[in-house]
Amino acid sequence: MEWSVGDDSRRYTAALVDSDGALSLSSLQLDGMELDSPDVSITRDNLHGRLRVEIAGTPRLVHVAKVGDVWWIHLDGRIHVVRAHEPGSAVAEPAEGSLSAPMPGTVLEVHVKEGQRVREGQTLVVMEAMKMEHRVQAPRAGVVTKLHYSEGDRVDVGAILVEIGD
Amino acid sequence: MTAESFGSAPRPFGTVLVANRGEIAVRVLQAAREAGLRGIAVYSDPDAGSLHVEVADNAVHLPGDTLAETYLNAGAIISAAKSSGADSIHPGYGFLSERADFAKAVEDAGLVWIGPPAEAISTMGDKISARIRMVESGVPVIPGEELSVPDGAKHLGVLAVCAARVGYPLMLKASAGGGGKGMRAVHEPKMLRTEYEAASREASAAFGDGTIYVERLLIGVRHVEVQILADSHGNCIHLNERDCSLQRRHQKVLEEAPSPAVTPDLREAMGDAAVTAAKAVNYVGAGTVEFLLSPRGKFYFLEMNTRLQVEHPVTEMTTGIDLVQKQFEVAAGLHLGLVQNDVRLSGHAIEARIYAEDASKGFLPAVGRLSFWKSPQGPGIRVDSGVRQGDVVITDFDPMLAKLVVHAPTRQAALRRLDTALADFVALGVTTNIGFLRNVAAHHAFASGNVTTEFLDSTSSSEFAEPGADPAVLVAIASAAQRLGMDRAPSDDASDSVDEHTGHSGDPFRTLSRSFP
Repeated sequence: MEWSVGDDSRRYTAALVDSDGALSLSSLQLDGMELDSPDVSITRDNLHGRLRVEIAGTPRLVHVAKVGDVWWIHLDGRIHVVRAHEPGSAVAEPAEGSLSAPMPGTVLEVHVKEGQRVREGQTLVVMEAMKMEHRVQAPRAGVVTKLHYSEGDRVDVGAILVEIGD
Repeated sequence: MTAESFGSAPRPFGTVLVANRGEIAVRVLQAAREAGLRGIAVYSDPDAGSLHVEVADNAVHLPGDTLAETYLNAGAIISAAKSSGADSIHPGYGFLSERADFAKAVEDAGLVWIGPPAEAISTMGDKISARIRMVESGVPVIPGEELSVPDGAKHLGVLAVCAARVGYPLMLKASAGGGGKGMRAVHEPKMLRTEYEAASREASAAFGDGTIYVERLLIGVRHVEVQILADSHGNCIHLNERDCSLQRRHQKVLEEAPSPAVTPDLREAMGDAAVTAAKAVNYVGAGTVEFLLSPRGKFYFLEMNTRLQVEHPVTEMTTGIDLVQKQFEVAAGLHLGLVQNDVRLSGHAIEARIYAEDASKGFLPAVGRLSFWKSPQGPGIRVDSGVRQGDVVITDFDPMLAKLVVHAPTRQAALRRLDTALADFVALGVTTNIGFLRNVAAHHAFASGNVTTEFLDSTSSSEFAEPGADPAVLVAIASAAQRLGMDRAPSDDASDSVDEHTGHSGDPFRTLSRSFP
């Protein structure tokens, strides 16, 4: 299994070693490069959905849940996502820099053209859902490489609205 | 109050239908139970298995796909009350709560309306008529023009003249507005047309009325609102203020009581103005008078919300007065049983609204299944939730999942309690704003108590970015979780499984004492 963390598309692979039910990392690779494995020891907690995780000797309880291919992890008061990928599968289907519709709705306004340079936080598309207008903003500076919808279009959840390249 | 006292009240009732959903329906239904009243829920198809249906004594299905056919369908809701034996209706907030025609229809149907008189709703609901009434009553209003700009771009000339008189920067507001919808700031004349069109379009979509009016945009102000309670015997008191300055695009994010900016003298002055405003419309019930507070301590009437508000718990925590219980009593024609001097102010309370939204992607609503949901517990922690573990979050409704309210002796202690409680809030499967709320509450501007209503919108989102964890540790946890089979449903999750034959959830309590017509 390969893993990616949060919005970062880079792939990790991990090998675990089991000693008396406690799992720890025996090797960790990032895009094929060997990394130093952190000092982590993980055991199953009696309560469902919870792991006991010792990081550098300090134990904490960590809640985990899997939805689809994504592991949701509540660690030290923060929630993180780690996505599972079949080894060798194509890098995340929505290419990096693309903005997908997080809900079904209607495209109200398109503020940019293909080829236009945008700055981080710039409004690209205004969507409407639940009677509220939502601005879809550029996550980073770049150039609009593809616009998939125009004003008035209905979009489904997950539809790629805009792609941004360098 | 007991069921007996409601039964022998001037306007007796024994069964409350709650014309709402989500956390507020749960809140009101629980209050009804405490009062010894029966509670009836209504639900549309996506809500058939929702928490508010489960906590009700009985539930009535509202057929249809759209809100207009279901939660906004006055006729269907009144019929549901009749068919289920309810003799009163509580509207919650949103939906039909500020619809004067609904209040009147409920009364005309011989049911007790747990809300203010229809006339008070309509006067305050039309922001232009509310402004005029406040000016007549001596309540200070924001400098502006009551001149209305009816729907349609042909009136841009009138608008431009009006805008020039009021002066820039200015605020375009929907006369039928509320909740930040149909409101746009205009900083320079060339943006007037664009912003007017956006405001009018949003107002038309949300309220069916695109009428816009103009007010000066006050800079560097706080949003401070006063809770009032009035009975039908002429008694009206205020329950101190709430500070809701921390807003994002006019949507409140954190609310607290008392306001860090309000002195005892100012509290009394704003409280008096709020009571004057309420009396000017012969108000009965629980209501909120919203003000903008300038850095120099001058305050201006913004609008009156003629209903229970989302953030009402911070007032309950600091005064010890149960507002929903009081709504029941006052609607039954009972006396308030409180005078101004009975109202205490104890400690500090802060509310955080837990939304299914992605703060890192422009706060767009998030969807999914709450495969794990554990809310924090402990002294001074209250969670009003509309969801529970296993629920599916969809975009048909408002994305607010729950409200976390903390109470502590001081603001400092309340902030620490809020941070700890947010850290202990485990919501997995749907992206929420919990991390964002932690970062905002910990930001020095909020911690120091000095934010204005512009703070969130004018501060770069990078200041509230999530601190990342070591990705190597996260990968280790995910791969260990996979190896340990943490993704396989254990026996205690059986309640989530759906029976293949009936299509119903395996929870034997789900259909108990409930009619599905």
